[in-house]
Amino acid sequence: MLADQGLCGWRVRSEIVLPELHPWQGDPAAGVDLVIRLGAVPDRLDNPIHVGALLQIGEDGACRHEIEGVATFHLDAAARVITVHPALSATDPAIRAFLFGTTFSLLCYRRGLLPLHAACVRVDGQNGPGVIALAGPSGVGKSTLAAAFRRAGHQVLGDDIAVLRIADDGIVTVLPGLARIKLWGESLHGLDLPSDGLERVTSKLEKFILPLDDAGSDAPLRVRTVVHLGWVNDPRHGEWRTLRGMEAVMQMSGNIYRHRYLARISAPGDSVLARAARAAAGIEQHLRIRRVQDFAGLDDLVARLGGLDARAGV
Amino acid sequence: MGGYYWIASYPKSGNTWLRLALWSLAHDGAVPDLGDDRLNQVPICCSRMEFDNELAVDSSDLPHEQIAALRPRFYEAQAARSSEPLLRKVHDGWTLTPAGEPLFPPHVTLGTVYLVRDPRDIVPSLAHHAGITIDDQVASMERPAIILAGQAQGITMQLPQCLLNWSAHVASWLDAPGRPALVQRYEDLLGDPVAALTRIAAYLDLPATAALIDRAVASTRFDRLQAAEARTGFFERPRHASTFFRRGRAGGWRTSLTRDQVGRIEAMHGAMMARMGYL
Repeated sequence: MLADQGLCGWRVRSEIVLPELHPWQGDPAAGVDLVIRLGAVPDRLDNPIHVGALLQIGEDGACRHEIEGVATFHLDAAARVITVHPALSATDPAIRAFLFGTTFSLLCYRRGLLPLHAACVRVDGQNGPGVIALAGPSGVGKSTLAAAFRRAGHQVLGDDIAVLRIADDGIVTVLPGLARIKLWGESLHGLDLPSDGLERVTSKLEKFILPLDDAGSDAPLRVRTVVHLGWVNDPRHGEWRTLRGMEAVMQMSGNIYRHRYLARISAPGDSVLARAARAAAGIEQHLRIRRVQDFAGLDDLVARLGGLDARAGV
Repeated sequence: MGGYYWIASYPKSGNTWLRLALWSLAHDGAVPDLGDDRLNQVPICCSRMEFDNELAVDSSDLPHEQIAALRPRFYEAQAARSSEPLLRKVHDGWTLTPAGEPLFPPHVTLGTVYLVRDPRDIVPSLAHHAGITIDDQVASMERPAIILAGQAQGITMQLPQCLLNWSAHVASWLDAPGRPALVQRYEDLLGDPVAALTRIAAYLDLPATAALIDRAVASTRFDRLQAAEARTGFFERPRHASTFFRRGRAGGWRTSLTRDQVGRIEAMHGAMMARMGYL
């Protein structure tokens, strides 16, 4: 049996080796919060409320997600057991890529958390440690920017999905996530990082897994700033401005991870939009940054963002 | 359930002009602001974000062939959610997926407007757009297929697209099953834009009076678009091209191509050029 590991503060017991997770460092007597096991997955869920090409959602909250040629994933109705039926070797990294994508975000929704499509970096300012979430759609450069922060000496707390918790007092924290950044060969090259020895996300893509030895094991940290990233081709269309009110809420809502279907299984009580609004209100600063995507400008961007005093605003 | 009108073309064949004119039609003949990225009356059919959200998957972790195999499911799901006809820009050829089914499912297709342009004029325009030499562009259009947005080392906001060579591209859309495509020659669109837009609006079942068509054509005249681009830039201009709206002329190839280049294009694409009335 593999040693228990930690994810989002949960004690995870997995039959699959998960190098993205740190060993469990919490209470040795704590119960297991999440089991990841290998096994059979039904073709159809009972009483589905959604049947898509890849995703099924059952009336009881169970979910089935299938990536042909990789694996089928099943999350049970209690959101405590993920069953993986691999189509590849169980150690193939492609299985982990999808396990920690859609299936992981399903789990977060079911547990009342808010998965933001963002990488997170730690910035220690005058007002203590805080987190900048770098949010935006796939391809906008979240992971590359996070890797540039890491190169500049900042701690990266995870890429792709930031799991946010909104406390009763409205404070928003990010839970410790995955200790890796997925980077394309182009980004590694642009950042002068070698790809030698790095595991690929899948053998068919030039996309690599950069392990983060110093990430993921910390306690939740307060998110002080969300940067909503966008891209432009013409520098005249670039933007750097503070968002307030509904603009911040709408950007936040747009960057909630795959909310169109996944939100259907949220814990009852409030909509994704309402939760995005609460999260937006609990984060001090929202920035809209649209820039020409080039590696040359990354260090300046990191310096400018890293130098922000989150409480003072810009 | 809605369905799609595909606004399909080989690149640099008038697709952007038509999309701006359709935007103007939908906005009472207004002048489009080229610096506004929300100017998206006819979004591209292969938005990575839309695909990922619709299918609840990270396409950036999928190989190209698996993305292609899933695209029909994406279109079906999007059409099922929509009660209105959806207009989408397309540069892919009309092809089959690796699983052997149409990439653009006929059962969710309402129609296709296919824009075609003399390949001798596409070559200099596309070479400028892509930042490559004219000879390289001629060679590119001779290859059976090239993949747009298909970089092996990274991703873009668009999914990979299979652009067949010019002749095969035209043939694929003209011979596609279902309602015949409305073929619009770029040259005729320049010569009589009011007639062209009237015909296209009727095909797309868009309500448009003659006065509205006149206003939309006036608001998207080529010299106006050029001046607007000079003033504000155009959101869709590629980074390595100095301008998007370059000449907007027909027959410019006579002065910008060598005899050898013209010969190569005609040798490769002569049959389809004749079918389209260019030879």
